[in-house]
Amino acid sequence: MEFIAGLANGFMELFKAGAATFAGWVTGIIPLVVIMMTAVSSVIKMIGEERVNRVAQRATENIITRYTVLPVLAVMFLGNPMSYTFGRFVKQKYKPAFYDANVSFLHPVTGLFPHANGGELFVYMGIAAGITALGLPLGDLAVRYFLVGLVVILLRGIVTEKIYFYMCAKDGKKLD
Amino acid sequence: MYTSITIKAGSGGWGGPLTLVPTEQKHKVVSVTGGGIHPVAQKIAEMTGGEAVDGFTTGVPDEEILLAVVDCGGTARCGVYPKKKIFTANVLPVGKTGPLAQFITEDLYVSAVDESCLSFADAAAVDKISTESAVGAPKTKEQAKREIAAMNQGKEKNLVTRLGIAIGGVVNKFYAAGRETVDITIKSIIPFMAFVSMILGIISASGIGNVIANTISPIASTLPGMLVISLVCAIPFISPVLGPGAVIAQVVGTLLGAQIGMGNIPPQYALPALFAINAQVGADFVPVGLSLGEADPETIELGVPAVLYSRVITGPAAVLIAYAASIGLY
Repeated sequence: MEFIAGLANGFMELFKAGAATFAGWVTGIIPLVVIMMTAVSSVIKMIGEERVNRVAQRATENIITRYTVLPVLAVMFLGNPMSYTFGRFVKQKYKPAFYDANVSFLHPVTGLFPHANGGELFVYMGIAAGITALGLPLGDLAVRYFLVGLVVILLRGIVTEKIYFYMCAKDGKKLD
Repeated sequence: MYTSITIKAGSGGWGGPLTLVPTEQKHKVVSVTGGGIHPVAQKIAEMTGGEAVDGFTTGVPDEEILLAVVDCGGTARCGVYPKKKIFTANVLPVGKTGPLAQFITEDLYVSAVDESCLSFADAAAVDKISTESAVGAPKTKEQAKREIAAMNQGKEKNLVTRLGIAIGGVVNKFYAAGRETVDITIKSIIPFMAFVSMILGIISASGIGNVIANTISPIASTLPGMLVISLVCAIPFISPVLGPGAVIAQVVGTLLGAQIGMGNIPPQYALPALFAINAQVGADFVPVGLSLGEADPETIELGVPAVLYSRVITGPAAVLIAYAASIGLY
């Protein structure tokens, strides 16, 4: 009998650790995220998509803004997965590279602006939870994640553009 | 000769039944499932007499798509095609969920589909569809505009009314933002927390945590180790498998976070680790994302491999950049 009770306790222990983690997340992470997401989404709704579209159109013109400003606007204002629709602003030959830049920004944005990709917060938050556990501030990590994200999406945009051009040339496909 | 079929939801599934009526122009069954054409897509193509197409390697114009077969866990793909009013069959038991949940409707979407869910359509259902599509032609934009203009005519608004409308508009925007936030919290964030805290709890209580601490942590706390992780994640035939819903990146991120919290990985490695575990980001989604950006099928055909190959270079490069940027952090 004692043996069975011991087993049952051990079984419960397996889940108690999980329950404690869950409770910590629900009370520690959700309230702040909910308020942040609500605030930023309201601002974005008030600015309106049309105004953003005009800036986005201008941002397609040179290679730097095409893979920094444009994806950042797309991700901040439309979020995952509607940000991909900003691909319509760039020419066919730039679309794969824009996709790469856009999708690669979907996680770096979450440290500062969780509203943009609320469904996939834990890439950042999972790691950030460890920093919090050590009692260190998160601000620095979130800002650096965002900035490094910018550099990385520019790099991805340029590299993917070159690779795509190379593949098209090899395939004898003309670019437009 | 094409045959119409009916697809109903499988066990645990949602939506449907869908009756597919293939035509000369619209007969392609697009499999957006990663790793070739899904058997369900193949079977549907055989039954209808249509053509099964691998959506990852071949682009298909929307108007030729009879049905999209997806294996979406509820993040994005399951909503993308319904949004475009394309019939969608999900092989996973996922209901009306994700950021595009509002577009997932019973008349466009069916889930948990396996081969037993397929049957040949009876003539009555087919007749109903063809008459419906003839009668239910949507209003043109012009018509709709004229109707609205007619409704608004002769309503001169005074200052108070306009002020009221403006305030109402702002309040509505706040309210909508709040509703969307709570929606996504309940539909995406909390379920993820539940499943990951369960896994984490079992890992720590069962002693597997120590194994991870002794094997993975040493790898993830050196630069070469992280470069290897990013390179593995970026291998073109592995990256699309790791991608869906960023679930793997999120779980690995949480595991690494736990190790950082325990002091097994130095905290400044958090930044490069964020890029190392995520070199595959979006690799599963390239054709869908491109078509959302209005890319032509030819662009998608070469665009998909271009993105995947590019990651082999930019994945490790991102880790290097992040490593350099992590100097002085903590």
